[in-house]
Amino acid sequence: MIKFSNVEKKYPNGLLALNDINLTIEKGEYVAVIGLSGAGKSTFIRCINRMHDITDGTLIVNDVEVAGLKGKEVRQFRRNIGMIFQSFNLVTRTTVLKNVLVSFVPDLPFWRKIFGLFTKEQKMQALSALDQVGILDKAYTRVDQLSGGQQQRVALARTLAQNPDIILADEPVASLDPVTAGQVMDDFKKINQEMNITVIMNIHHVDLALAYADRIIGIRKGEVVFDGKSSMVNQSVLDHIYGRAQSIEVRKEGAKMNHV
Amino acid sequence: MFDKIFVPKKIILPNGKVVLEKRSYTPLILLILLIATIFSVHITGFSMEVIVKRIKEFFVILDQMIPPNWEYTPKLWQPLMDTIKMSLLGSALGAIVALPVAILASSNIIKSSIVVSIVKLLLSILRTLPTLVSALIATFIFGLGTMAGTVAIFLFTIAYVAKLLYEQIENANMDAYEAMESIGLTRIQAFRYAIFPQVLPNYLSTSLFCFEGNVRYASILGYVGAGGIGLLLSEGIGWRNYANVGIILLMLAITVFIIENLSEHFRKKLV
Amino acid sequence: MNAIEKQLLSEKKNYQYITWIFVIVFVLFIWSLSAIQLNNMGTSGLTIAKNIITGILHPDLDLLFNITEKGVAYLLIETMAIAFLGTIIGAILAIPLAFLSASNVVPKPLAFVTKILLIGIRTIPAIIYGLMFIRVTGPGPFAGVLTMSLISIGMLSKLYADVIEDLDTSVLESMTSIGCTMFEKIRYGIIPQLLAMFLSIVIYRFDMNLRDASVLGLVGAGGIGAPLIFAMRSYRWEEVGSILIGLVLLILIVEFISNKIRNKLVRGY
Repeated sequence: MIKFSNVEKKYPNGLLALNDINLTIEKGEYVAVIGLSGAGKSTFIRCINRMHDITDGTLIVNDVEVAGLKGKEVRQFRRNIGMIFQSFNLVTRTTVLKNVLVSFVPDLPFWRKIFGLFTKEQKMQALSALDQVGILDKAYTRVDQLSGGQQQRVALARTLAQNPDIILADEPVASLDPVTAGQVMDDFKKINQEMNITVIMNIHHVDLALAYADRIIGIRKGEVVFDGKSSMVNQSVLDHIYGRAQSIEVRKEGAKMNHV
Repeated sequence: MFDKIFVPKKIILPNGKVVLEKRSYTPLILLILLIATIFSVHITGFSMEVIVKRIKEFFVILDQMIPPNWEYTPKLWQPLMDTIKMSLLGSALGAIVALPVAILASSNIIKSSIVVSIVKLLLSILRTLPTLVSALIATFIFGLGTMAGTVAIFLFTIAYVAKLLYEQIENANMDAYEAMESIGLTRIQAFRYAIFPQVLPNYLSTSLFCFEGNVRYASILGYVGAGGIGLLLSEGIGWRNYANVGIILLMLAITVFIIENLSEHFRKKLV
Repeated sequence: MNAIEKQLLSEKKNYQYITWIFVIVFVLFIWSLSAIQLNNMGTSGLTIAKNIITGILHPDLDLLFNITEKGVAYLLIETMAIAFLGTIIGAILAIPLAFLSASNVVPKPLAFVTKILLIGIRTIPAIIYGLMFIRVTGPGPFAGVLTMSLISIGMLSKLYADVIEDLDTSVLESMTSIGCTMFEKIRYGIIPQLLAMFLSIVIYRFDMNLRDASVLGLVGAGGIGAPLIFAMRSYRWEEVGSILIGLVLLILIVEFISNKIRNKLVRGY
């Protein structure tokens, strides 16, 4: 469970990225966070695994007060939270399997860490994770030989190998073409339903968000302006989140994307 | 082949799927490198002891180069100009000759694969021949002096520019070329109007780049008697007059720096 | 003045610029023509040219296939050993210098000073280093190894630093989210990226060093250059032929293999 109470994030330059956020996300939910670029979506997600520090209020993740963690505790805390990025963030000049194995690195004893020797169980887990996202046959291929969609699946497998309770995804399909984007969204749905992992996703693509997520959180200028089931989202809600003119643009763009 | 000697390990996943884990090449490569290193140490007579004991000699020479002998400067202008002349002339003529040679080596323009392979082979041989060696041979034919150096640079430039140029031509867009051939232009005309404009900027920029490198080469060609400032360099070292060597190296560095920056300026304009 | 005329004039201006460049290049070209001197050539030049060509076409096969220390094979192996050892030493010593000259790793002034030092090292031609190291070790392949090491340090540090300066740091963000320490990020996020590129650069340098090592013999720093120049000075063109054939073949083979490996390292196929 993730609980935001009066959370505020102010950047050193005075920009108020999150203002008075109050909400609760239960285990196993599939949440999409939508809003204009710069509205604070990314900051919202990054506060959950403390990639960003909050400046006021309390944020509790799995009964842990995030702001109170120190050094080693932060790293231990992050072990249970997976994160997926827009640009995949893989080491492209090495094999798929080695990228997935990175998620076990913090658990290795020191001498194994230096030489990069992983145990058989870890390799099995990594391969199983690759199997779950359907790219087991690519295990020994170099990442730079894969398509964008396949690379995002490698990132997903890396996150699954962590065996997380929560997966945070920061614009996971923004660099992908519409068809591949749909496939990756299917993967997220499968993971969410079959493994009961909470998925919280930033996405600027409204139609995909409505089609896949159960719950939508709309953020505008650092404030939550909508929070509810995706079936409740209609044109006036979007107008409210994006502002009238942009919301038409956003839908148009989405429609165009779907026809590519 | 590797997989046959070192059979891949089988990993069976809990759900029954089988993955073949390839053996890592790393230990084998490290072993080969280690053997090659030990072998090389043995063959070259490498000795850490000698380095530790005598490396100061190197710095003694370096120390004698500073301060450089400024009074030697007036004697340097003529050979320095010779060096520049050699590289300029060799590069210019080489770049011009490289154009027809590159066409002969382009498989999409010349239909005879025998001609193409022979020209390509000759170009690789020419490119592999160290400039200093061709300069040395040239001194036997043309006598000591700038002519030998010019010829060596000329040959190297042909090989270098033509190689990069034929790669460009082979990758050029052929649509316009075919269209022009179909309306009755000869192959040479079609090349002139369809392919040449595509490769021209790169051709000029490659030639300039080659010229930059040639200035560096030209500076040492004098060592084998092929003209230019290298002659004074070898004299200075032979007579252990390191202050003279210092000023020559300084002048060379300045010249190379100026020419590289000029040429880089024009190359940026081209591409 | 309408738009079309303006366009016409602007084109003219460009032409003017190009014409000027052509004039300057042409003048320089005429000036440099004085490098051509045929008076030294005389008739003996032609005879020698003929001898050289017949010599190269009829190489000394005994020398070429001789496997003792005087044979071409041994000389080529010695040349390779000089280039190899020089590359290995340079490849290792260049790593710290590369980090010291990468402006995204160390403070800018330090990076600048290291860069100047490296430019200084690169400015001096290999042959000069060869002559200097002979004073340290005496003539022979050992001097060649030291020369190649120093040349490699100068070249490799620069190329390494370029790679370090455009590292992909996005992977570090994902490792932070996994809970990795700084050491783990360097070991698993940075080193794998650097390793492939560094190896590719080192292999390229070995290729270049082999060419340089083949002429170091001219100054007495070991390798195949010395027998080559002796054979030439004593007009034994058949020997010259067999040495050159061996050298060219070796360099072509090494170049071919090095291109293959580097493509695999950099592009993955």
